[in-house]
Amino acid sequence: MTADGQFAGPALPPGAAPGTTGHPDDEWLRVHPASPFVRGWVALAAITFFFGRDLFERTLQGQPVFEDGFARRAPWLLGGGAAVLAVAVLGFVLTWYFTKYQVSGGYVRVNTGLLFRQHRQARLDRVQAIDIVQPLLARVLGLAELKFEVADAGESAVRLAYLRIDDARQLRATILSRASGAAAASGAGPTAGADAAAPPGPGNPSASFGPPAPEAPEIKVLSVPPSRLLGSLLLSEQSVFIVVGGVASVVLSALTDNRAFYFYLVPAALGLIAGYWNFFNKGYNFTAAVSPDGIRLRYGLLDTQAQTLPPGRIQAVKIAQPPLWRPLGWYRMQVNVAGYGASGSAAEGNTRTILLPVGRFADVMAMLSLVLPDPGTDQPEAVFTAGLGGRDSGGGFTTTPRRARLLAPLAWRRNGFAATDTALLIRSGRWWRELVLVPHQRTQSLALHQGPLARRFRVADLVLHTTAGPVAPRLTQAGLDEARQLFDEQSARARLARKRQTTEQWLRQVVPAGEPTPLPVGPEPGPTPGGAGTTEGHTHYQQEGQQHG
Amino acid sequence: MHTEAIDPPGIAWQRVSTKYITVRLVEWALANIATVLVLSAPLVFVLLGWWRWPPLWLAVTVPAATLLIALWRLVLIPRQVRALGYAERDDDLLVRSGIFFQRTMAVPYGRMQYVDIAVGPVERGLGLCTVKLHTASPGTNARIPGLPAAEGARLREQLAARGEARLAGL
Repeated sequence: MTADGQFAGPALPPGAAPGTTGHPDDEWLRVHPASPFVRGWVALAAITFFFGRDLFERTLQGQPVFEDGFARRAPWLLGGGAAVLAVAVLGFVLTWYFTKYQVSGGYVRVNTGLLFRQHRQARLDRVQAIDIVQPLLARVLGLAELKFEVADAGESAVRLAYLRIDDARQLRATILSRASGAAAASGAGPTAGADAAAPPGPGNPSASFGPPAPEAPEIKVLSVPPSRLLGSLLLSEQSVFIVVGGVASVVLSALTDNRAFYFYLVPAALGLIAGYWNFFNKGYNFTAAVSPDGIRLRYGLLDTQAQTLPPGRIQAVKIAQPPLWRPLGWYRMQVNVAGYGASGSAAEGNTRTILLPVGRFADVMAMLSLVLPDPGTDQPEAVFTAGLGGRDSGGGFTTTPRRARLLAPLAWRRNGFAATDTALLIRSGRWWRELVLVPHQRTQSLALHQGPLARRFRVADLVLHTTAGPVAPRLTQAGLDEARQLFDEQSARARLARKRQTTEQWLRQVVPAGEPTPLPVGPEPGPTPGGAGTTEGHTHYQQEGQQHG
Repeated sequence: MHTEAIDPPGIAWQRVSTKYITVRLVEWALANIATVLVLSAPLVFVLLGWWRWPPLWLAVTVPAATLLIALWRLVLIPRQVRALGYAERDDDLLVRSGIFFQRTMAVPYGRMQYVDIAVGPVERGLGLCTVKLHTASPGTNARIPGLPAAEGARLREQLAARGEARLAGL
């Protein structure tokens, strides 16, 4: 339990006001005492169900609740059961008691474990994402789990389950304001340089940051109406399989006079309904908002989740349009974020990496303006339109040369790339249209690949390596000369972009150009998130943010 | 066949040691001889009359085909080793490999998270080592095998120093 980072989290002493906030910095806190029971409720419910049903049925049938032989042993069994229960509860309580967390001096620390102690600390400015998750029961009780992700691709660095929802939000705001450099900057003055890594302690000015950070104001950018979500599910590839499978079963049944085929449909249907439900439950009420802390995504019907992606944490974006969505002009967006990994647990990873489950062109442009505030081109709309639906060289794209059209008879006019000052755009697919964006400063490494067939046609593939995730940027079948040139240019561009990015603390980036800032630009020029700042720290935030906007 | 290299022109590649061919040969022998022997077992049993299935032609074809493929790969090994190369540029390390399936990779120094040096038993006997670079991306599969031990150590120090000078975040 301790090893996987799942611990009973931190909570305030029962009764402490959600203003937790008044805690001095180095105080160790505990998660909410109810946490173990919220997490173990499935087991409790199962036990109750089995015993309860038995009792209930016996009572209904007028039988004695215990048979005679059983009744004699009952005290022992009950005693044993009670002992097991007591040990379990004691274990829960001890785990809870020995789990403490602290946010101070640029680090978040979590201590867990009774016999095998684990002390973990993570640098705040290394945060890749912060999620607040509320499973149904926790939601009923007003609790929430907070996940702090660093670039580890595996488990969450810090999971605090469960906190009171207000405390979780407060903690998120505190962590984000410190990670952004706003807190340190406002409290520290000139001494604190770009390194948030200053050792914690009395000398560290950020440790004396007293009052809690206010939650950054946010502006809603878009939401996905349930009808569109439902429509996108009905028009998914899954649905096509259902229809094809159903028709095939009926035809086979009719042809062979064998009813057995219908029976295969029942479990298949159940599985599919579960799948649809899962998607609907996860994607329901999807809302995206922008704040100086980054992009906020909220979704969920029964279990709700709120993700915060600080600026510049998105490593790659994929915009896809399956053929069935094309008449409706819908798109899906997925992202690579270092902390989310490839897919942690498959279902969880899948939903967390979705930036937009289904949206129209305007929604896509709005999200792109958040992900890539500086598109690096004069006509972002034209370039992205060409990337999403265009063919040939419109919008500055370079496609597969005509000599290689045999390699991709349908897609050769689509497969192509365009480079803006801030990102590389790779588009592909005639029917399953895809556009992948990789910001230059997020490229890890790149490689040229060429097989024997490609060599005959003098084409090559260019692969950009990013962190693990659903997006795997690969430019297929580019002309050899173009690919080679891009390989060189891309190395140079990535190098320049990296130089301009000076710190992980996004509000302290000294370089104005090319840095993702939270202020939307381009097609969705909402009001700036300023104006509402009341506290001093907050105003500072705004000023900083606007300097870069 | 037209064999124009895909790497950017004008790069002075440093080649790996030709002793690495021996390492590859040993690896080849361990993997392929065992496979061919196992696949030949049915042929023996069929010839001895212990088994009725598979038919003789199948029992012959499978190990024969495997053997042919293995021999083809054996012939390729020296050329593959000669195709391996690396070049230290100002800001990134280039690694190339392959003849039929060519690959040229650029790993910026600032992106390196850590550098491994691995030495297997055969490599140790020959005084070779393998340097492996890791970035935050699992796709960066940059291995430089067959380096003389001293060159490997030098390269690692060099990479570490340059990485520190150009360190970037994620």
